[in-house]
Amino acid sequence: MVVELLEANGLRVLSNPTGSNLTRGIISSVSQQARHTGKLPFDIAVFELDEAYARQFTNVLKPRYVLGLNASRDQLDRFGEVDKVAELIGDTMLSATDGIITNADDRRLSAAAATAQVPVFYFGVAKKLLEYFPRDDELVAIGKPSPVAQAANVPVSVELETFKDDHATYRIDDKKISVELRVTGQHNFQNAAAALALLHELVPNIAPATLAEQLATVRPAFGRGQIFTLKNGSELQLCLVKNPASFRQGLASYITSSTPTLIAINDRVADSRDTSWLWDVDFEWCGLGMHAPVFTTGTRAMDMELRLDYDDVTVEGAEPDLDEALKKFCEIPGSKVVFATYTAMLHLHNQLSRKAGKKL
Amino acid sequence: MSKPELHITHIYPNEMNTYGDRGNLLVLEKRALWHGLKPVIHYYNAGTQFPESDLVLGGGGQDSAQDDIQVDVLRIGDTLHKLAAAGTPMLMVCGTYQLFGNRFITSDGQEIKGIGIFDIETLGGSKRMIGNVSVETKDWGLLYGFENHSGQTTLGEAQLPLGTVTKGGGNNGRDKTEGARAFNVVGTYMHGPILPNNPQFADWMIAEALRKKGIEHKLAVLSEEDALAERVRLSASDRPY
Repeated sequence: MVVELLEANGLRVLSNPTGSNLTRGIISSVSQQARHTGKLPFDIAVFELDEAYARQFTNVLKPRYVLGLNASRDQLDRFGEVDKVAELIGDTMLSATDGIITNADDRRLSAAAATAQVPVFYFGVAKKLLEYFPRDDELVAIGKPSPVAQAANVPVSVELETFKDDHATYRIDDKKISVELRVTGQHNFQNAAAALALLHELVPNIAPATLAEQLATVRPAFGRGQIFTLKNGSELQLCLVKNPASFRQGLASYITSSTPTLIAINDRVADSRDTSWLWDVDFEWCGLGMHAPVFTTGTRAMDMELRLDYDDVTVEGAEPDLDEALKKFCEIPGSKVVFATYTAMLHLHNQLSRKAGKKL
Repeated sequence: MSKPELHITHIYPNEMNTYGDRGNLLVLEKRALWHGLKPVIHYYNAGTQFPESDLVLGGGGQDSAQDDIQVDVLRIGDTLHKLAAAGTPMLMVCGTYQLFGNRFITSDGQEIKGIGIFDIETLGGSKRMIGNVSVETKDWGLLYGFENHSGQTTLGEAQLPLGTVTKGGGNNGRDKTEGARAFNVVGTYMHGPILPNNPQFADWMIAEALRKKGIEHKLAVLSEEDALAERVRLSASDRPY
């Protein structure tokens, strides 16, 4: 989103492919695009970094700006705990030389940014929308209603004010903009607020109305709500899920009681080897499986089936083999959704890119 | 005839809930329903009165959360000791397991006192033990879970472990023990969470709770769920550490 917005403003942007966010991804993106003189023909570099790797990276190369989106329980088998994730992102933010952009509604990140020596710019969502964007602590809070978020006591430069279907309105400083987005999923409305806040600093003289037009053209990123048209004419939407927060957002954004759904759970290192987090996702409220079949696949297809059983969602089939499961799923008529953890998403994305509309 | 009530208490739900711990609660609640009982869920938070409890559950938390509740757990220590001695089934996972021991010494040498239901001591380590585990137990056969802890726990001489690790690090990565057991109180490092993957253990907790209440009630055969769990267990046995 940030890269597309910068490009829309005429900047030549060097970036790493989405998800390839470790040393390898960065080095290959830089070396592939360098001229034989060693010069890089770009105006600006934007890197998406793994939270653990980001600190090492910024020890070597100080970024001008760091955008910290949120700290969520994610890959706890790597990081141990959420506080640790926040500490890693916090350290990375503090390495910025010009400014920090972070989430006013994330208590861990806004606390970390508060100690910064450089200017901090906040994005956020309007108070009345906070219930649609539960923070990590609220997602897993047991036995008490989600606390009404205490809006951080900071001036928010870009705020998501309303959203309905694909339409969102934002406040940028004191100006309002209204956008029809091509990206789907309510989390992307929040992401867009973050991207707008960063753009606002990087390209300060741009008119909010122009930004709105540019935002309207941004397409969904790799495997993040991407739509494929299948042989039988139906559409399949592929959505990455990586933690309770993103799974919940995916269910809220894409699932109705009549959406056929395939859930692909792998347990390789990039997925989270510990699948305990599936029990921190509540599947009961969204209508999943009520009038449409639900299938599970991946190395942890069985765990997902058992998880759904305890939320009274009946699973039509649990097939660990991703290709088999995808093939069967694609034969179902009507719009459907695939949720997949990272390595499962990569595999399914590859299959769909090559075969959607032909063999699938 | 009205259904027998089963009071299930989850302690420190907002602090100690890092790794899918609410899955354990969900499994006890749902299985109690399916067994024809009336589950009543209580959440115990620091500083409040301890509720009527036939079953007690505790989860794992961040180190910072452990600091927050350690004063309170000592405050309710007597209540928990009485419940334990009376045979109340309790399951304490990870952080709460450590707090049910004698003490926890953090990696920077700070001592956190526990309530001593288990004769165990935990040292904060720099290396985390992370991976799939399986544990052979006397009463529940093979249990499957996922461990993720830096604390290294040593059992006192007379302290019974929960079982012997057949895969994974267990209490300390050295002596092959995992968890601890005293009366009907079980402490363990197994997430996963432990109860969905090991329904025989969940049903044992429910049956013991009923026995302690003096209620004669035959548990239902949950063949569909248990067949699902068996498939999970079969696939779990193949997973690498």
